[in-house]
Amino acid sequence: MGTTILALLAVVLFFTIIFFVAKASELSSIGKDANEEMESTSNLQGKLLFAFLILGLGAVAWSFFELGPRMLPQAASEHGVLIDDMFNITTVVAMLVFVLTHIALLSFAYMYRYRRDKQAYFFPHSNKLEMIWTVIPAIVLTFLVFRGISAWNQIFDFEKLEGNTEVLKFEATAKQFGWILRYPGPDGEFGNRIIDSEHINQMNELGIDWEDKNSHDDFFADEIVLVKGKPTIVKLGAQDVLHGFYLPHFRVKMDCVPGMPTQFMFTPAYTTQEYQALLSTKKYWQQINPETGNPKWQDFTFELACTELCGKSHFAMQKVVRVVTQEEYDKWVIEKNRSYYYSVINPDASPELVEVAPVELVVDSLLEVVDSTLMEVVAAH
Amino acid sequence: MSEVTAHHDLEHGAHHDDHHESSWLTTYIFSQDHKMIAKQFLVTGIFWAFIGGLLSLFFRLQLAWPNETFPILESLLGSWAEGGKLSNEFYYALVTMHGTILVFFVLTAGLSGTFANFLIPLQIGARDMASPLMNMLSYWFFFAASVVLFLSFFIQTGPASGGWTAYPPLNGMRDIAINKGSGLGFDMWIGSMTLFIVGSTLGSLNYVATVINMRTKGMSFTKMPLVIWALMFTAVLGILAFPALLAACGLLEFDRLLGTSFYLNNIVINGDLQAYKGGSPLIFQHLFWFLGHPEVYIIIFPAMGIVSEVLSVHAKKPVFGYKAMILSLGAILVIGFFVWAHHMFVTGMSPTIGKVFVIFTLLIAIPSAIKVFNWITTIWRGNLRFTPPMMFAIGFVSLFISGGITGIHLGNSTIDIQLHDSYFVVGHFHIVMGVAAFFGMWAGVYQWFPKMFGRFMNPTLGYIHFWGSIIGGYMVFFPMHFMAGVPRRYYAFDQFQSFNNFTDVNVFMTLAAFLVFAAQIVFLINFFYSMFKGKEMTEDNLNPWGANTLEWTTSVHPGHGNWEGDLPEVHRWPYDYSTNGKEINPQNMPLGEGEEAH
Repeated sequence: MGTTILALLAVVLFFTIIFFVAKASELSSIGKDANEEMESTSNLQGKLLFAFLILGLGAVAWSFFELGPRMLPQAASEHGVLIDDMFNITTVVAMLVFVLTHIALLSFAYMYRYRRDKQAYFFPHSNKLEMIWTVIPAIVLTFLVFRGISAWNQIFDFEKLEGNTEVLKFEATAKQFGWILRYPGPDGEFGNRIIDSEHINQMNELGIDWEDKNSHDDFFADEIVLVKGKPTIVKLGAQDVLHGFYLPHFRVKMDCVPGMPTQFMFTPAYTTQEYQALLSTKKYWQQINPETGNPKWQDFTFELACTELCGKSHFAMQKVVRVVTQEEYDKWVIEKNRSYYYSVINPDASPELVEVAPVELVVDSLLEVVDSTLMEVVAAH
Repeated sequence: MSEVTAHHDLEHGAHHDDHHESSWLTTYIFSQDHKMIAKQFLVTGIFWAFIGGLLSLFFRLQLAWPNETFPILESLLGSWAEGGKLSNEFYYALVTMHGTILVFFVLTAGLSGTFANFLIPLQIGARDMASPLMNMLSYWFFFAASVVLFLSFFIQTGPASGGWTAYPPLNGMRDIAINKGSGLGFDMWIGSMTLFIVGSTLGSLNYVATVINMRTKGMSFTKMPLVIWALMFTAVLGILAFPALLAACGLLEFDRLLGTSFYLNNIVINGDLQAYKGGSPLIFQHLFWFLGHPEVYIIIFPAMGIVSEVLSVHAKKPVFGYKAMILSLGAILVIGFFVWAHHMFVTGMSPTIGKVFVIFTLLIAIPSAIKVFNWITTIWRGNLRFTPPMMFAIGFVSLFISGGITGIHLGNSTIDIQLHDSYFVVGHFHIVMGVAAFFGMWAGVYQWFPKMFGRFMNPTLGYIHFWGSIIGGYMVFFPMHFMAGVPRRYYAFDQFQSFNNFTDVNVFMTLAAFLVFAAQIVFLINFFYSMFKGKEMTEDNLNPWGANTLEWTTSVHPGHGNWEGDLPEVHRWPYDYSTNGKEINPQNMPLGEGEEAH
């Protein structure tokens, strides 16, 4: 408490001193020639503006060196390169404009600071100049729009994967505050989901239709596993509120909207290991992480984050993303437990048993259950 | 004409109506004098700016030191900061209210409310607004909106916390289990916004009607100061855009209270399918941004107008390209209505529609660039008096450039995939429409303070305010561009190793935020002290900055009705500086022999 009061007193004292110094300078100017006063003030402020230009440009340059290396590293997906190129080109254009206009603005401020013996130059307009700075930005922007839209067309060209059976598909459904990640299993097809209150319950949040055979080899995962070089489509949805599916390193971002499916298409360009190796050559990533004692690149993982405000734990919707080779992926798929067996057939079955249960056999037994239930219903009537 | 009776006889001039006495209440509180209403908007805006700034300090503390505790927070905020650490729920309430307050209550009402009210009648030579009553109501609706929003801080579930953009379904269900602030707090948010929109519409209609109908003799449209053009366009934007938000909020409240499904479809909460069917959250986003994007021009236009005016007066040089300035404002006004969906490139909207919005969005950079080059040419070979308003005007141009160029990144949908909802966006809009608009506002306050209160603000404190704000402002928001892939609206970054590289940068930005806030304390001291004790303006120095516009032809304390005698007549455009052998040629000065009107 004592320190709080002391700190408050110090703050009050600070502002009081500033105030009295300022007031004194105002009083001392009484009786002086106003133009002379303005000349010396403008002289000082004009010089300060020029100093601001030099120091400011210095600080901007320094920040590129100091903060640049901390930015997200290079894109880890094929389309991500398009985005990064576009970002870099635009940044070059923007910085050029930033530097030139600031040099003009603040040097003019310095050069034309008030002098009693001078008069401003009456220069109300010039169509030629207006023309120049309409046409030049127009040309530059046309170039950027053209490049941007053609990249955009490539990124959202879903047709290019049509009929391609070598596509990795997975489904991410967001809810407060986590992700339900579903893979279609070896058959590559998701089981149907039926949105009604019969199918959706606490055991089956997504409303998966277990009678659809495609659902039988689907499985849920606690991490996203992708294959290097394999085109990937992620099907997105949300249960309760808006969420955003964001893979920062892959330059993938798309909202998850309740009641409206969305999707994104990308191809990982590196495995996690390859990407780590890439980072290990960079100075920033060679620094030691104080928490683990490892170099930063060694602790690196790809991650999934939420980018649409979804409530109090919006900041904590993290999942790990691993990019592996096809062999590693196939092995992982086989190892995963089929949610169908867990949820429908026998939740208590040991994973090993479930793993080997032939699909047909299980379906038959399920159909029997369904039949007998139906018979009971009919009999009851 | 006495101050007491003027407003009864705006039409009849000389006829006095003496039986109605003006009381303290009708002079200072329920005043219909546009000048008093302007001051009410200004003081209320300053109050809100202080609150909004204070909120940002709280959440900046959390961002800089997420693992520290600050006992003072618990004593100030109680259960919202148990143990001296902000709760995540309250963090989101803080950012939500910070956005709402700054965007609507400060930079819309506080900025155009103040300067449209103050400058339109004084600069076009009118005795008051077209409807002084509506004008008064406009303020009191704003005041009521302020009261409702302020009270929402003190209810048990706290104020709205689903973001200032109020997206459903987070804000679309009245369920505090989903989001604490989506209960009564958000109802109050909607109530407050509704009152706000009524107030804003009453004001805007009045501003447009006044500019069109009540210009004094000789004040043709092409002789109007640019700030009046800007304020009129602002009002047009408000009239056309705010109703969309009102409709959006109305439907949202139907969803919340009556169980309709305008914005909701197939919601599953804890494995329980809700009854909502057939709506779409995207419809709300379209309606919201149909206001939300023109809103940024509602914020920046008055600042642009003020800056054009201030640069020209203190450079003693005509604003360069007067007609190009008007046309570019007009172009921004029109194109500004066709760019809203650039906020929605990755919300699930069709990528094909996205392309159209890329084109319109980047198109808007052209009129913006024209304005910047014209401002720079305005000071070229001027005779620049670096008074405090001039400093802020120069600062505005710098900030508008720095914030504007990153709009070229964000408007390009391809880049926006990565940058959407990241700190790059936060840096961009805080510089271009936050800090820059504030600089425009301050330029206006320092410029017209003598006209408002008959006294001067202390210039030294003004310079301290300027340098603290511009250096601090850049230090807060410039580093955010390097956090290009780091998501915004994160309470902490420790859950992700991808986003955890900026811990010390966050400390740096928080310290800078305190610097900026300290500079604002200097401004507050200066403002309120000078209002009562500042250096007095005298009758022999009625035009202290040497401006051409009409407001400086009034007396030190103009009464209700503004001019004691006849209204001034206008003979020339407002930018006849350093011509005709004189530095200033006021608008009401008849043309000299053989001189041609500009």
